[in-house]
This record gives sequence, structure tokens and C-alpha cells, in this order.
Amino acid sequence: MISSQRRSGAFAAALAATLGIVFGSILTGPLPAAAATVVKIGVDLPVSGADATNGIPTRNGVVLAVDLANAKPLPGGLKFEVSALDDAVQGVHDPAQGAQNVKTFIADSAVLGMVGPFNSNVAKAEIPLTNDAGLVQISPSNTNTGLTKGDDAKKLRTSHPDVNTYFRVCTTDDRQGAAGATFARKLGLKKAFIIDDNETYGKGLADVFEADFKRQGGSVLGHEHITKGQQDFKALLTKVHSGSPDMIFFGGTTASGGGLLRKQMADVGMRDTKYVGGDGISDEEFTKETGDMANNSYYTVAAPETSKLPSAKAFVAAYQQKFHANPGPYSANAYAAAQIIIAAVLKGVKDDGGKLPTRLEVRQNVAATQNFDTPIGRIGFDKNGDTTAPILSFYEIKDGKPQFLSQLNLKD
Amino acid sequence: MDVFLQQLINGLSLGGIYALIALGYTMVYGIIELINFAHGDVYTLGTFFSLAILTLLGVTGVVTGPALILVVAVTIIGAMILCGLTGVIIERLAYRRLRNAPKLAPLITAIGMSFILENLMLYWRGPSPVSFPAVIPNPDVVLGSVTIQAKQIMVILLAIVLMLVLQVFVYNTKLGKAMRATAQDKDAAQLMGININTTIALTFLIGSALAGAAGFVSGVYYGSTWFLNGFAAGLKAFTAAVLGGIGNLAGAMLGGFLIGLTEAMTTQFISDQWSNVVVFTVLVLVLIFRPSGLLGESLPNKV
Repeated sequence: MISSQRRSGAFAAALAATLGIVFGSILTGPLPAAAATVVKIGVDLPVSGADATNGIPTRNGVVLAVDLANAKPLPGGLKFEVSALDDAVQGVHDPAQGAQNVKTFIADSAVLGMVGPFNSNVAKAEIPLTNDAGLVQISPSNTNTGLTKGDDAKKLRTSHPDVNTYFRVCTTDDRQGAAGATFARKLGLKKAFIIDDNETYGKGLADVFEADFKRQGGSVLGHEHITKGQQDFKALLTKVHSGSPDMIFFGGTTASGGGLLRKQMADVGMRDTKYVGGDGISDEEFTKETGDMANNSYYTVAAPETSKLPSAKAFVAAYQQKFHANPGPYSANAYAAAQIIIAAVLKGVKDDGGKLPTRLEVRQNVAATQNFDTPIGRIGFDKNGDTTAPILSFYEIKDGKPQFLSQLNLKD
Repeated sequence: MDVFLQQLINGLSLGGIYALIALGYTMVYGIIELINFAHGDVYTLGTFFSLAILTLLGVTGVVTGPALILVVAVTIIGAMILCGLTGVIIERLAYRRLRNAPKLAPLITAIGMSFILENLMLYWRGPSPVSFPAVIPNPDVVLGSVTIQAKQIMVILLAIVLMLVLQVFVYNTKLGKAMRATAQDKDAAQLMGININTTIALTFLIGSALAGAAGFVSGVYYGSTWFLNGFAAGLKAFTAAVLGGIGNLAGAMLGGFLIGLTEAMTTQFISDQWSNVVVFTVLVLVLIFRPSGLLGESLPNKV
């Protein structure tokens, strides 16, 4: 008893000392005048759990862009900083956590723009918030069509329906799904069974694929939705197998069931059936989880393959030098997104005669982006906030490793 | 018809795993009337313990020959012992002090225990699904037009064998008699010289050990595990226990198989996303007409 009292006494003293330091520093007034003006770029991506193999290389893209921007002399002692948060809860991207992170960014007046999120359902939760606060956000990878186009997009812009704060540098699922269907038909596949994870991204992509696959003469044997956290797919796959399709299309991510589903295909005698998906299964986690079942899988990515792009050479070299790894599928997109925000802030500083621009000015500058040079090509935004240079890549997993097959530039 | 038979096998295999977990739920409920929400997580812990033992043994793929029996025996018994001890520790630390507290207190404690176990596993093996070695050779047994995998046979047989062993233990041994006595009336049992602390600890040991066995089986069956699997599996297993009549061993078994079958058949004939809806609709209907489950929770059957 005595010792515990003594301990709590010591703890109280320590606490008082800490508080003294904290409040002391506040009371002694503003930071020294020599300190740089910090502009933060918020980054909201899933960087833990199964989604981390996507999230971390993507975040690295932003870090690289900010580092390179700071390496150049900036006006008025300006300094960019990355403020990165994780939107994965217990290993899976979570819309509520994403919204919470965006609120954190909005509350921090130094944040003038943000990169993210990675997943479309997270974007759905975030867009109303950034719209309300006038904070610009650029996603490297959200492909769900309804985020920018049509009535769905209007419904997300709740506070200011006429002001768009959400932009993206990748193309959309109406194109990814359609390209996936064309691609599957080119592989000679005729009978498809479609499975999705019932999420914004997965279901959206699967629906587009279904419509386009049919339009291109393929037949769809069925379309099923799986449940979050589902572990047993044997009954579903037995049903799929009974129709003997020559491919399964999966709309969803590795974390939402894409890996387990592929793995269990071996158990029902579908080892050699082709497995086609979108960028949701483009992560390393997919090959890791499925092991030797990874082969015979194909997927599209709504970004160019950076190793094949002349404009990305310098980026790839700088990335490898800094992170000692190859860029992920969306690293260059994140880099481009950060570049656009940085340029928008710098333009604002110039226009305001050295003063920091407001969030709305930054947004305006981002919206006006045209013919902007990035590793993924010269891009700009249309009135919806979509990229004017949509590029898709196709991959096949062979011997456990993704092989780049071809690239499709939808602008041509 | 072929597909129907095939789904029958799928459903029974899935049901076998539910049944093994449900046995633990039902035993604990039978003796102290506690819904042990941490039980599903003990099952997941069983997959991780099995994985750790297999790693220690250097097993990364299929094992053949006499070594197979040894590996399976060592792993399954090891996982059962480790899970059993976990169950005993949980009971000792969390539930024993609350034995005479209002019913709600141990229930909330059980939910808390579940979160603690989940987060320990998260810390131990990370938040991503973890691959599990195949261990047993998996030849297809072809019966007419139906293909049964060796591992499906293993799941179904193991569930039935363990249930029978448990049944014999509870009804034909002295310790089993002590358990039944404690379940009927703790105070009277104590007056008759039964150490109820030991008896309840024993119940947790056996129930959790069965979850350990289920853990090994599901790891082999699915080839992967994830720290949150126990939540959904535990919920279904609990439903199985209620469906069969909570506290009733044969009922837990029956409930497990029924739920597995319902899921498989719903997937085949309706749609995968409706399987949970149908399972719980069946539960509601059964409880409306038989409030104490299919086989009832009559005392003589109670553990």
C-alpha cells in the first residue's frame, strides 16, 4: 500500500512536470520567427494489415514528392510536411476510420490538401466532409464511377453541391470493368461467373464487367456476393463449378475475400479455371495468400506500368534509391497527386504575394490543373474531377509473379 | 442431384467445425450458465497454436507416411492442451470471482475477454490472414459423381468421434458424474464432497481443448487463418448450440451440422449472401416452436 502511494505520488509529480513543460511552451508565445512556415499534406491510406502492401508503397509516393519539393528552394521559408494516417481497422480499410482521419486533417489548419483514400467506400465517407470544409483531396486509386460522375457524385457533395473537392488521377470502373471484359474476351474466355464483395468498389466494378462481358458476346452464368469476414467459399465454388465456367471474375480486394476465394478454388477442382479481377487483387498480399494458386490469375490496374513509361524513369530511380524497393501499382499516382497539390499551393503563394493561400484557393488551383507533367504522363482534370489521361494496364500472374502484359491509353 | 450431394458434403464439413466449437459453448453454459463469448477466439487461438507447433516441427507442406500420423497427433494434442490451459486460465482469472455476481457481469467480462484474445493474436501474428500448411495429403475420394476430399472426411469424422468420447466421459466416468452434479446444483454438489472449482475448471479445460482441435482442423481445411475468424465462427457455433438445445451435447452436434447444411444449401439454391439470413431465420423458427432447442435442455442431458 505504502509503495503504491509512493508510486502514485511520483507519477503525479512527473505529470505535473510534463504539463508544466507543455503549458510553459504555450505561454512563452509563438514559435521562434526563424521557423519555417509548414504546409501539411494529409495522407489517408490503409497502411496496416492485408491492405498495407498497397497502402505503404502508395504513401511512399507522397513522401517522395514532398521530399523532392523541399529539396528545391521554396518561397518564404515554406516547408512541406506529410501528415499520414491509417484508415485500416484490424487490418481492413474502414470508412468510419477514414472519415475520422479526414476530420483530423480538417481540424489542423496547416493541412491545405490531402492525398487519399485508397478505397472507394472510404472515399464515399470522406467526400461529404472535405466538401463541407473546402479541403481538396486527390485519390491515387479510387475507381468507383459514382464518386465523380452522375447523381451519385452530386449526392456526396452535400454542403456545396457546386464545388467539387474530390479529384482522382486514376481512371474509373466504368472503363476498368469494360477493359477487363474486353481483355477476358481477348483471352478467349466465353463463360464467366461473377463474384463480388458487395462493397462500393467491388460491386461497382463487377456490375460494369457483367454488362460489358455480355455486350461483347460472353455469357454470364451467375453473379453472387460474398460477405465481409466470410471464410468458407466451398459451397459457393461448388455451385460455380457445376456450371463449368471458364473464368471467375472477382470484384473486390484481396482483403475482402479475393485471396481466400482463389485459394479454395483448388478444393473444388477449379485449379485451372482462370481468375480475373480488377486492381483490388493487384497487391503482393494476393500472391502471398494464394501461394501456387496465384497463377492463372489476371487483373487490370487503373494506372500505367511505371517501369514501361519513359516519363516515369526518373521517378522510379528516385523511388528505388529512397525506399530500396520497386514502386507499387499506385506509387506513381500518389506521387502525381502530391505534385499537383504542391504546385497548387505554390501557385497560391505566388498569387497572394508570399502569403499562404486558403484551402479554397488551393482547391481552385487543383481544379484548374491542365497538361501537368507527372510520371504517369501529362494530366489534367475534367469538370467532374476525373483525369484527362486515363491509362489502364493488364497483368497476368505467372510462376507466382505478376507479369505486365499490355497497356491501354483510353485517350487515344 | 449430384450437386445436392456435393453440397451435403460441403455442409457437413463446415458443420463439423461449428459442432466442435459448439460443444465447448454448450458445456460451459451447461455447468455455469455463462455464454462464454471468448470461446470463438479460443478456437482461433487453436489455429495459431497448431501453426506454431507445425513450425516447430518444421512442417511446411504435405506430410506422408508414418510421419503424418505423428505430426497430426502431436499438433492436435498440443493445440488441445494449449487451448485447454488457456480456457482454464481465463476461467481462473476472469470468471471465477464473478461466479456469484449478477449474470450480466460475467457476460460482459466474456465479451471483454474476447477482445483481449483477439488483440493478443493481432499482436502475435499481425492483422493479415496467415497461411496454414496443407499437412495431410488430400486425395479426392470419388463416389459415383460426388467428390469427397480427404480433409472433409477428417473434419466430419473428428467431430463425431470427439463428441462420442465426450458423451462417454460425461455419462460414464466419475469426473463426468461430478460435472453433471455441479450442473444440477452447485451447493448440493459441494455438500456431497465435490470440489466444484476443480470441476468447473475441468469443464473449461475440455471445452477449450475441443476448440483447439477445431482450430487445427479448420487450419488444415481452409489453408489459412486470421485473427478475427473466431468472431463469426463463434457466433455460428453459439447459434448451433442454441438450435440444438443449449447445454445438450448431442444437440450442439446436431445444431452444428444443421447450420453447416443450411448454409451450403442456401448458397446452392438461393444465393451466398442470403446464407446468414436463412440460418438465423431457421434459428428463430425453431425457437418459436421449441423454445429450448431441438433436443431440449432437459436436465439429465445437461452437462
